[in-house]
Amino acid sequence: MTEPLKIRLRKLLPWALGFFAGGIVLVLAIAYSGIFNIAATAGHPAWLEWLLALGKERSVVVNSKPVDVPELNLTELVPLGAAHFHGGCATCHRIPGQPINPVYDQMLPPPPNLQIHAPMWTRQQLFWMVRHGIQFTGMPSWSGQGRDDEVWAVVAFLQALPLMGEEDYLKYANGNSKVNSQAQNYPANQFAGKGRINLTACDRCHDTHDKQPTSPYVPSLGGQDSAYLKRTLHEYREDLRQSGFMEPIAAELDDKHIDNLADYYASLTVPVAKSVQPVSPAKVELGRQLAEHGDRLRKVPACLSCHGVNKRPDYPRLAGQSEHYIRQQLQVLQRGIRAKTPYGAIMTTIAKRLTEQQAEAAAAFFAGQLPADHKAAESLRR
Amino acid sequence: MRYALKTICVMALLLIAGCDDKQSAFAALGPVSARITFLTWIMFIGAALITVLICVLMFISIAGPADWRHKLTGEKSIIWGGIVFPVVTLSALLIYGFLILKAGGTWVRAENPVHISVIGEQWWWRVIYRHDDGHTTESANELRIPAGRPIEIELSTADVIHSFWIPAYAGKIDMIPGRINTLHFVADKPGIVSGQCAEYCGGAHALMSFYTVAMTPSDYDAWLVKERSNAAPALAGEGKQIFLSSGCGGCHTVRGTPADGKIGPDLTHVGSRQSLGAGILPNTTEGFAKWVSQHKIIKPENLMPPFDFFSESELQSLSLYLNSLE
Repeated sequence: MTEPLKIRLRKLLPWALGFFAGGIVLVLAIAYSGIFNIAATAGHPAWLEWLLALGKERSVVVNSKPVDVPELNLTELVPLGAAHFHGGCATCHRIPGQPINPVYDQMLPPPPNLQIHAPMWTRQQLFWMVRHGIQFTGMPSWSGQGRDDEVWAVVAFLQALPLMGEEDYLKYANGNSKVNSQAQNYPANQFAGKGRINLTACDRCHDTHDKQPTSPYVPSLGGQDSAYLKRTLHEYREDLRQSGFMEPIAAELDDKHIDNLADYYASLTVPVAKSVQPVSPAKVELGRQLAEHGDRLRKVPACLSCHGVNKRPDYPRLAGQSEHYIRQQLQVLQRGIRAKTPYGAIMTTIAKRLTEQQAEAAAAFFAGQLPADHKAAESLRR
Repeated sequence: MRYALKTICVMALLLIAGCDDKQSAFAALGPVSARITFLTWIMFIGAALITVLICVLMFISIAGPADWRHKLTGEKSIIWGGIVFPVVTLSALLIYGFLILKAGGTWVRAENPVHISVIGEQWWWRVIYRHDDGHTTESANELRIPAGRPIEIELSTADVIHSFWIPAYAGKIDMIPGRINTLHFVADKPGIVSGQCAEYCGGAHALMSFYTVAMTPSDYDAWLVKERSNAAPALAGEGKQIFLSSGCGGCHTVRGTPADGKIGPDLTHVGSRQSLGAGILPNTTEGFAKWVSQHKIIKPENLMPPFDFFSESELQSLSLYLNSLE
């Protein structure tokens, strides 16, 4: 009984191989002939549209399964996500309530209106698409390597987007720059002759003369030394420091812009101390201990030996920086993502020696310090 | 054949390197190491004689005359040669060995020794001189001792097991977590020898060495007074500013400046030491510059963070300052 079946199958084998080889030849022939019209104007035939959509959807669903969703605080993250969307995504995905730029309207597949499409995906799936991009669609992957933490701000924004009207959106997207529509005229006396400083992109997130940064994940720049700010912008521009938010902005700056911006922020007086969130005094005390004396057992030097008064101008000043930001940067350092620059390499070594508790305590301690202290001490020195 | 000859030559060269008195147990530059060397020779020569004897006996048992062979298999020769002889020889060696180990200690206790603590750290030595008035002075990676006076060194570790060994003066003693071991010795005359960590302690173990400088007692006393004093560099200025503002003081102490870090070696008088980086670089301005800018290559895995951003002139000023900390 089985013998005849085997013989029959054996007879079929050459045919099967022949069809397979023929299929490959046919596909190659079609590709080479140029019959298939890949013009965006041609559109996709319905069957292909269906097939591509199926493939894309299943790929996103399956690949995003292992993504762990952290707790997302929308109030803290949405302004940051919105400002990035405004600068990086809105060109293709349109500003709510405004028509899309006709150039991008002609893309195939057309960039989806995310007010309608975002709710169709889960947080994991949105994260996966923003983080990895999508082949053949023009959707790029996240430009800050290893900065998954930043992607979540965009995800938070995408979840808030469907309910936003134009006015809401612009409020979040423009951040502090809306209040300073005259920001262009900022060359305060000391900047006379240096040309205008365009702060439109910076003010979307960072501090101004009268406002705190729009999100606790955004560092406050006012009062940092210009040497540090210059170094940082150069590191972002040269892809040495990773950030999907800052790299695209820094890429558009030339050396003169960087110098002007650094000088401007160095001269900016830090606005009134932010309302310090209630933190346990024990945590702050542990942070103070670490900042002033370090931890000999874990070979952690005192934070203030580099981040204190009278230190190198290209080291950052931490006093008054937000707890969230310091904590996040310590995590990024611990993951080794900032080790490409010589400065980051030093802090990477030290950050990896910190326990989670110590990192949190240090962040809490510096967040509670007044940057004014710094200023006063410095003026004394002068 | 040629290859074998080459190999033998290279190995012979290695042996010659061992003849350097600086780090040789045969140098015997003090009574403690002299005794150890003497014991070594006793054991070596004794073992050689016994080996020859065994060979002779084996030859006899195979090819000797019948009556000799008969005697060898007798009960008497087994009792005397196989039981009594080894028991007596080994017991005598053991007791003599114990006496040698103890000798330094009893002698030192009788003669009010110099007290020094050495703490092994990955991968350097923290050296603490204990003054008669109860105060201490911390230094690193170099031991200074007065010749002729008994020395008592308390050995401990900050992390893993290390072993402290100055072959020219004494045997090696382990530094064991949670324990303090004591080493006693005397240096016969002034001179410089080197020592080494003799227990594998992680990545840079092979680069964890140090120099021991034996000085005349009067020189030593003068040196100790200077070592105890604060840093008084001839060249402060820019280099000092770079040292302090770059955060070096977070790990290193330079007494008399705000730098009070306790994580790495004390640098108060680093310029007067024989070497840098725990016995691996010459103590020169160039040595400092090389250490600061390339220490991750020179001594891989060492725990100092890399400082790769200094400009040439910054590096030069910093090195001049460090070198002037005499």
